[in-house]
Amino acid sequence: MSIYAATRVLVLLLVLLPLLTAAVLPLFGRFARRAALVAALVNVGLAVPVCVVASMWLDEHGKIGGRARGDETLLTFRSVFVPGEVTAGSDAPASGTVGRTTWTLFRVSASDAAPDRPGPRVQLYLGLDGLNLWLVALAALLLPVAVLVSWESVREKPHTFYALLFLLHGGMVGAFLAFDAILFYAFFELTLIPAFFLIGRWGTGSGRRDAARKFFLYTLAASLFTLVGIVGVAVTNPTPLHPASKVRVPAAVVPLDPAVNARTTEVVPAERGPITFSIPDLMHNVQVWAGAGAAARTVVANAETLLRGARDALVPVERTATAARAALDDLRAKKAPPEQLKPAQDRLLAAEAALASGRAVVAAQERGLASARAAQVEAERAATRSKELQFWFFFALMAGFLVKVPVFPFHTWLPAAYGAAPAGVVAVLSAVMAKLGTFGIMRLVLPLTPDAVAEYGLPVIGTLAAVGIVYGALCAYASTDIKMVLAYSSVSHLGLLVLGLFACNKEGLSGAVLHMVNHGLSTGALFAALGFLIDRYGTTEGTKFGGLMGKFPVFAVLAFVLCLASVGLPGLNNFVSEMLLLAGVFAATVPPAGSWALVTVGAAGVFLSAWYTFTMMRRVFFQQLKEPALAEHAPLAGTKGAPEGPAPAAADVSRREFCAFGSLAVLCLVLGLLPQVLLDATAPDVRVLANVGGAARARLAGVPYVSDEPPAAASGPAFVPPAMQPVQMNPKGGGGPKGGGFPKGGGFPKGGNPPGPKGGPPKGPDPKAEE
Amino acid sequence: MTDPLLQQTLTGSFRLAVPEIALVGTACAVFLMGCFTNRRCLAFTVSLLGTIAALVLAGVVDTELPPIATAAPLLNDPAAAFVRWLALISGAVLLFVAWGETGTGHACEYYGCTLVAVAGASLAGRANDLVTLFLALEFLSIPTYILLYLPARDRLNQEAAAKYFLLSVMSSAVLLFGFSYLYGLTGTTNISAITQALAQADGTNPMALIAAVLVIAGIGFRVTAVPFHFYAPDVYEGAPAGVVAQLAFLPKVAGFVALARAFGLFGTDPLSLPFNSGTQIPLLLWIVAVMTMCVGNALAVVQDNVRRMLAYSGVAHAGYMFMGVLAALALPDAKTAPGVGGADALLLYLAAYGLMTVGAFAAILYLSTPERPVEAIEDLAGAGHSHPIAGGALAISLFSMIGLPLTAGFAGKLLLFVGAFDAPSDSPAMRNLYVVLVAFAAVNAAIGAYYYLRVIGVLYLRSALRPLGRSKALPTLMAAVALAGGTLFFGIYPEPLAKAARKAAPVPTVPAKAVADGR
Repeated sequence: MSIYAATRVLVLLLVLLPLLTAAVLPLFGRFARRAALVAALVNVGLAVPVCVVASMWLDEHGKIGGRARGDETLLTFRSVFVPGEVTAGSDAPASGTVGRTTWTLFRVSASDAAPDRPGPRVQLYLGLDGLNLWLVALAALLLPVAVLVSWESVREKPHTFYALLFLLHGGMVGAFLAFDAILFYAFFELTLIPAFFLIGRWGTGSGRRDAARKFFLYTLAASLFTLVGIVGVAVTNPTPLHPASKVRVPAAVVPLDPAVNARTTEVVPAERGPITFSIPDLMHNVQVWAGAGAAARTVVANAETLLRGARDALVPVERTATAARAALDDLRAKKAPPEQLKPAQDRLLAAEAALASGRAVVAAQERGLASARAAQVEAERAATRSKELQFWFFFALMAGFLVKVPVFPFHTWLPAAYGAAPAGVVAVLSAVMAKLGTFGIMRLVLPLTPDAVAEYGLPVIGTLAAVGIVYGALCAYASTDIKMVLAYSSVSHLGLLVLGLFACNKEGLSGAVLHMVNHGLSTGALFAALGFLIDRYGTTEGTKFGGLMGKFPVFAVLAFVLCLASVGLPGLNNFVSEMLLLAGVFAATVPPAGSWALVTVGAAGVFLSAWYTFTMMRRVFFQQLKEPALAEHAPLAGTKGAPEGPAPAAADVSRREFCAFGSLAVLCLVLGLLPQVLLDATAPDVRVLANVGGAARARLAGVPYVSDEPPAAASGPAFVPPAMQPVQMNPKGGGGPKGGGFPKGGGFPKGGNPPGPKGGPPKGPDPKAEE
Repeated sequence: MTDPLLQQTLTGSFRLAVPEIALVGTACAVFLMGCFTNRRCLAFTVSLLGTIAALVLAGVVDTELPPIATAAPLLNDPAAAFVRWLALISGAVLLFVAWGETGTGHACEYYGCTLVAVAGASLAGRANDLVTLFLALEFLSIPTYILLYLPARDRLNQEAAAKYFLLSVMSSAVLLFGFSYLYGLTGTTNISAITQALAQADGTNPMALIAAVLVIAGIGFRVTAVPFHFYAPDVYEGAPAGVVAQLAFLPKVAGFVALARAFGLFGTDPLSLPFNSGTQIPLLLWIVAVMTMCVGNALAVVQDNVRRMLAYSGVAHAGYMFMGVLAALALPDAKTAPGVGGADALLLYLAAYGLMTVGAFAAILYLSTPERPVEAIEDLAGAGHSHPIAGGALAISLFSMIGLPLTAGFAGKLLLFVGAFDAPSDSPAMRNLYVVLVAFAAVNAAIGAYYYLRVIGVLYLRSALRPLGRSKALPTLMAAVALAGGTLFFGIYPEPLAKAARKAAPVPTVPAKAVADGR
């Protein structure tokens, strides 16, 4: 069994192990807490090797250019280590079927498809790629932290508590790993049930039940729209099939005869085949139908060029034939002898044969052009429909994720839920569960509604996120409860993350992937550190504390590191990702003026974050020593000695607590110094999303998309074929650069398109030819 | 009677109803036994043996399709088989459920009536004649009257029984009136013949529309469609829980199957729908579906009595099921091969609904004791801790009603959503209404979550002032656990159920328009 096959089993275990643990833990009764810690550590021991192997694998394969990987350009996610993969031999994945699983849960429709073909079915399709890799690691790391933080504070039915915690973890990891849209939704919703009970039952304060219910209902109501959006995208973007051979085709307009040396140049519109829920396939379908118009225009332009070439080629042949006939007539008029007549006759026959074949070529090209024009009508209709529908699906899909993140006007569940949840749970909620929202945007919204994202992403969602950055920061400043400060700071930081996501370029997206991990680490650790105060004093009210620096020096140092990391001090992790996010928004060109405003707000958010964090730190750690009454079970200093002290004093960080958030503080530092390790593995899939976004922006601007990827071959200027590679009409029908009318530069999103010495892109049809 | 095929068709009909005959025979035996002894164990055992015998017979007796479908009073197509298995298995489960309330001296009558009602639901699935269909529906109704009257001790019971009886008789009359129009139009009572004749007629006869409206009204009562739902909350509140479990499930199965039969949805030819989108009947059903969903959910939100809440939730679920009927009615407009036929989604949802609704009532019946009855939602406070198994089963059923993933309710809703979304949207009568319907369903599912979650919150997040009593009805608990287990199993792996539903109502693989063009 190779490493690849073994890792595939481990990926499945990543989901199954927490779910099994959740099922078994209640049986442990009194020992549940120890068993939970062991299980959580086993889970880390499972996830970390898997992520290391996968990151090495992705890094290795990411270095190979897109075309060398077999794609024209990188336009779909590539999942690796898929359990139940279609295999060629013993364990290696079969070529061309990489990342397709055979494990079907639920066939939605009767039309049956081969296991390696997209079909209308819900599959247990799990896998790793650059986007989910580090989030899985993050979730696994936060699990023992949550267990350790809850070690003392959860006294009521600990076995059920830990079982629910593992169920929550299993749901989140499942959602991260899912490559099937419905499976993703299933795991996404599954997290609601344990979170509801964890907040409602083990939470603090009298409002915990209402907080839990509000959280559940708000999220569920919004995510039902996400379900409608998923179903809608899947139903309206069926797999494009070749009408004759019924195989999947990569474009909306395809040659009638797909053979390479086909004589005919006629094309047909692709047929709408079965629907699919597999996200990579769905991405492909969405781009085929959204780019149908552009692809058809390219085909028509190609056909026109070919026809013109054929006509041009016909002219000398006609001239030869006329000359031959004239020569023969001349000879006949001269009554030349037959032996002289014979070669002339032969010449005429040859010329006429050439003429006939030339005319046949012209006729064939004319047929090709006519069929291309006919197909264009249908393709344009499909593209228009796709664009209209994407508007609705975009907002439907976004609904669930806007609430889950949460983005500004949809955040109202958050203060109550975070305020009521116990410290260990809120660490998981803020560090990992909030990432489900941003991850969902990356996994579903950006690839499945790219045109709507290009049109409405930054202007609408970006604006909301920018408002949220400032609003969250101001609320955090105004809050005196430390928990609320952290909760609102989460709203503010995640606003920046969403802003960077919708910039939809490499900087923004890689910053977003990185920031998800970094924010998870720093915020999760901060909430875990808050457990320190809750354990000792039973309150997090900031005004009751003061001067803790002198009392708990170790705790103060750790909290400083975490706060500075959260603020984004250079050298700590959040700095890198925040800079990348800001750079991404800065580079975003749609809308040209608005992005400047968004960058300004984002940068102000970073500043504001320092403002409220340092205000809180000053209040709690400096000034006069002030502490509330000790809680009932507070860990005391010097409990071993005789009780000679005047009053019991709370102990500083214990070994358990040091392991919990001290380890995360170290990670914050490491990732601040070595972020490239994370970025390397994510690069290929970030490129995929950037390409998808770029292609959508190009469609919006009405220009062909030129990817700025490095070419597969290292020669010549970096020219890569357009994103939606048109069908290869004719191997030698290059067409050549068309003269004027190629609108270069203006409005074109990515600047990396230097005017080459010999004209523009290889196939440069006039995109505005339809006007 | 000279045609041998016709003779074969008519005489063969008896073979098609052997399990139902066995059920009714057992019921007669149980009724007779009631004259001598009324021991619960005995009646239960005999009834269970009868049901098992019926299940065995259903699997063993091999039948052939009647040679002349347009003359056969009963059909044994795959849809009929699906409904029979559904009815018989639910019948067996209902016997277990009923254990909790048959200890009061009329166990024989109770079990006998249940068997007859199950036979009626099973027969409704295979009725291919207006007369047999009506008889099957009455087979289901009449035992229910008796069941409602059996424990009629207080005013609430009597009100429930009287209300159900009067309205049921009235709805039967409306249904018969509609049937008489169908007979008058086509001159036959055979449903296959009627749907063929109406589908082939040029233009729609206004009389046929009246008949369709009356049939919808008559069946709307049985499936608690708005505006025929008024009886449901009062009856559910007043009737014994086991009877309510039966009443919430069996009439819905029979009603929707009868509706699908009468509208030709179980036929193999997607073109032979007598009431396609050209007749405005789908539009009428669309309005009924949306009203049923919205009214059911809106009124369930304000209920404090758990049974009234479940009654309105049953109304809302009927609204979702109408989505399946609507999707099936749109098949003649399809231009591409449809993914989900609609009728298969309906059958799957019916099965999922049975699992969760009967499961919820079984759990409530188990938790409720004479000293400490469960009436208000608050009565369930802390039941999740004091009765972890029954509480857990109830919670799973409620999560399934919300439609959370990994429960059968989610699989059913997903299939309905896909079916309605996939329905062709460019027929002149319906346009984008199918997509709007899905949006309505999503909003309603969110509203539904509110009141189901309230019960779950009460179960687990509150503690009881006076804890619930200890119930001894172990079979009821077994039924509740089995149903919750089924809900989870078919939620995680719905393929077996989906396969069976699809076999029962096959989705045409060729688009109807292509068939039409080919002709």
